[in-house]
Amino acid sequence: MSKPPSLSRAALKLLGVLVIVAWSVLPIALIAMSSFKSDRDIFSLTSRFSFAPTLANYELLWSRWGDFFFGLWNSFIVTVGATVLAVLVSLLAGFAYSRHASKGLQASAFFLIFIRLIPPIVITLPLFPVVNWLGLNDTHLILIVLYATFFVSLGTIVMRTFIDQIPRELDEAAMIDGASQMQIVWRIILPMAAQGMLAVAVFVIVYAWNEFLFAFIFTTTKAKTAPLVISEMIGAVEGVEWGVLFAASTVQLLPVLAFVILMQKHLVAGLTAGAVKG
Amino acid sequence: MTARTPLSAIALVGPVQLMVGGIIFLPAIYVFWLSLNQSSFGQAASFVGLANYAKVLSDPYFWRALVNTVIVVAVVVHLELLLGLLMALFFASGVPFRPILLAIVLAPYAVSEVSAVVMWRYLFEPDVGMMSQMLSFLGLPPIEWAVKPSHGLFMVSLLSIWLHLPFSFIIIYAARLSIPSDLYEAGAIDGASSWTAFRRITLPLLMPALLIAALFRYIFAFRLFSEVWLMTGGGPARTTEVLAVYLYLEAFRYNAFGSAAATGWLLVLASLLLALFYLRRLYREMFGKHV
Repeated sequence: MSKPPSLSRAALKLLGVLVIVAWSVLPIALIAMSSFKSDRDIFSLTSRFSFAPTLANYELLWSRWGDFFFGLWNSFIVTVGATVLAVLVSLLAGFAYSRHASKGLQASAFFLIFIRLIPPIVITLPLFPVVNWLGLNDTHLILIVLYATFFVSLGTIVMRTFIDQIPRELDEAAMIDGASQMQIVWRIILPMAAQGMLAVAVFVIVYAWNEFLFAFIFTTTKAKTAPLVISEMIGAVEGVEWGVLFAASTVQLLPVLAFVILMQKHLVAGLTAGAVKG
Repeated sequence: MTARTPLSAIALVGPVQLMVGGIIFLPAIYVFWLSLNQSSFGQAASFVGLANYAKVLSDPYFWRALVNTVIVVAVVVHLELLLGLLMALFFASGVPFRPILLAIVLAPYAVSEVSAVVMWRYLFEPDVGMMSQMLSFLGLPPIEWAVKPSHGLFMVSLLSIWLHLPFSFIIIYAARLSIPSDLYEAGAIDGASSWTAFRRITLPLLMPALLIAALFRYIFAFRLFSEVWLMTGGGPARTTEVLAVYLYLEAFRYNAFGSAAATGWLLVLASLLLALFYLRRLYREMFGKHV
């Protein structure tokens, strides 16, 4: 086969790169940029990329939507709580599944994966009255537990894949020296499985930070998260205060975007360990 | 292995099983019981057999929601896989600034559904949105997602593909990277064109990853809620509802717990049906009946 001329090939490649970049970051960049525009510039065609930046939208967000910053704080608490819970619990289970094999354990692993297929909205029906009855409605705790629960299945699979790579001889030697199960997890597995824990953490953090459905159903005022406040803003503004909406979206988005870019290696490792091998 | 499960192992998997069993499994079973009863907030349940299912299945809004769900899932998952595959092959053929480009491709993964709705609504804002202007430049009408149901579903699909493409891409790309390059070298020596190499080497070896990605995405797209709720709210006139939105409205707006529960169980059954192939394979792998 004759090779196509390399110049057109390079041009084609460049075009491909441009399309991919435009598709992935243009919507994000446009929002972040527009959050610094005045109302007039947001809908002006001439000032799409050149405009006089202003902090007015952020000031409005601060003065009129104090709720949003409260929501960010709630999102932060819930995200940290869910991440710690999910990572610890997945670590313990991943260790057990990696080191022991029995019919009962295998059945319980199958159960874990099987359960993950149940759509979250289905369980809101029975949980709603129970959560109310327990007085957990509109608390951080309920979101922490729900978010962690919906990630421990994947978390356990990912942890098992990572712990499988730690030589068994290490914990067997510790066992002979009289270390308890928990000591082995704490002293040997935990430091060596840090990579896997990080991979699980990335998933939970992105999920918990952005989740909408559970926050929408189970929180109203005290524990409402940032995505919920933004959704209220969409409902409230109806095409009027776009600038404030852009400012809020930008503040909500940027930390987790930076985090994902920083942690992309772990994200990819976790996705391939959890999805392809699991 | 016939070994009994040691107590310590049970203790270690206890927390996970407790969470998953108590918060997902038991409620799901309870939903089944609910679906056989007539009930609402603060009202004692009374057994009605399959009446809720009959009611749901004779509700035109349910069918509308089902059809919408099937359309969106079919469009989203297949387009997403196709785009993911194209992108994976493009990356594998060597791209400049690969690490940076990879980070860029992953970016939408960090975006919440809420922010994504804000973005795409702005881009397609009928009079002044960038995309609307591009459409009018091409002589096409703007997307009126709040007015026309088909446009609403188009926006939902676009949004969903944008949000989840990183997931499909990574799974396919990882599989593509694990194909040994000597296979292609051998193919080249045998005089295979790049199309033949794709059909005979790449595609068959990517099949397992494509199937896994498809299954995950079918199951997750099937429960679609936030994108629709935030983009159209199911409107206009309940024409863009999907199953999860229908369920939500039945339960939390119309207080019809029985029919919401019946919808919930239909959702569960459909998800299991979609995953049957995967579950069977997994079951065989785990319990050693290698065939």
